[in-house]
Amino acid sequence: MIDPNDLLFLLQGVPATLAISFLSFGIGFALGIPIAVARQMSPSLSYLMEAYEKAFRGIPVLVFMLLFYFGLGGFVPFLKDPFTCAVVALGLRSGAFQSQIFRGAINSVDKQQMMAALSLGMTKTEAFRYVILPQAFIVALPGLGSEISLLIKDSSYAFILGVLELTKHADILRKASRSFVFPYLMAAVLYILMTFPIANYLDKWGSRLKTKYGLR
Amino acid sequence: MYFILEYSQFIIEGFYVTVTMTLVGLAGGVVLGVLSALGDVYGGKLLKIIINSYVEFFRGSPLIVQLLIFYYSIPAITGVKWDALTAGSLTLMLNSGAYQKGYFKGAIEAVFKDQLIAAKSLGMTFPQTLRHVVLPQALRIVIPPWTNEYVSLGLSTSALIVIGIRELTNVAVSISAQTFRPLEVYLFIGLIYFVWITLSLKVLDWVYNKVKIPGLAVSEVM
Repeated sequence: MIDPNDLLFLLQGVPATLAISFLSFGIGFALGIPIAVARQMSPSLSYLMEAYEKAFRGIPVLVFMLLFYFGLGGFVPFLKDPFTCAVVALGLRSGAFQSQIFRGAINSVDKQQMMAALSLGMTKTEAFRYVILPQAFIVALPGLGSEISLLIKDSSYAFILGVLELTKHADILRKASRSFVFPYLMAAVLYILMTFPIANYLDKWGSRLKTKYGLR
Repeated sequence: MYFILEYSQFIIEGFYVTVTMTLVGLAGGVVLGVLSALGDVYGGKLLKIIINSYVEFFRGSPLIVQLLIFYYSIPAITGVKWDALTAGSLTLMLNSGAYQKGYFKGAIEAVFKDQLIAAKSLGMTFPQTLRHVVLPQALRIVIPPWTNEYVSLGLSTSALIVIGIRELTNVAVSISAQTFRPLEVYLFIGLIYFVWITLSLKVLDWVYNKVKIPGLAVSEVM
């Protein structure tokens, strides 16, 4: 009943979906930790960071994609490519989300540990690097897991820009095979097969590390 | 920037569709969320399996794919024809219900077990306990996490563009195609979303502070 060629065609969309998700997760990670730390250390930077976070939490990521692709594509050469555009938009939003995850995680580490580190003669940066962040990272793991699965799901917005990812492949297959059922249902199954294992793994990894190091 | 004002009629109509679809999705989601949370906490094994597969499907796959399934696949399987608005609102309700189930479950479980035993010892039946003991507390506790769902569903309505519903983002695409001024158009539309979400957050925060249980902070139970 299911043509193996159809399934193969859908599977060809998976690498692009994973590439968008993991690249934007990387951008978000690279932005999230410094922003979370900066918000703790300097109140003056805080306003700027807060504005950035609020903008990406209050405007749909699709509007950002369209803004970058059609609005800024003329001025910024690399935004002319829909794939890059999707990665940049999702990555910037992920930075806003991840900085909130890390801020919560940093706050969950006991304040007295910062004082203890400072009293041992560490600088504030050293204290963050060697004492606070390693613990905060463990606390952040489940949040990061759901952030990755959110990115995998939201990478489907790239379909609207015409990026050849999983949803686009499903759409092409629907038009080519005139089958309205298989392409989309199978795409949904493939998305579920991607999101759940990753989120579950990071969740389990987090709780294993928590028991290992005796964190709450 | 003034050229946008010529299109204010379309923008207002698009904004109206966006807000209506969000509220419809949330309202349906509350009903589905509360019912499936109750079923998952107090129900039997089979019911739990059904509820959790529903939740996993809608939380594990993208809203865009769900919309395409409800717009193309389901009418093809069942033979029932429906328009984009029906397919869109059904999808949003089911999607939001799956996310809200998690929040309501957390809130229901946050009501201490002792209270259920106390209610039973007072001779209350199970529905009475739900109505007078569990839900009045759970529905208050749930407001802050529920606010997140409001924001995320509100922004997700932009996905309705894939089944051709004329919501705010779709209107923006049309205006930008007509005027060839995408930068201003998308910035302006982004601003509308931003103001709407920010004001909604303020209102929900106000509501929470009005109805919250004095002395019972969410941070203590969740």
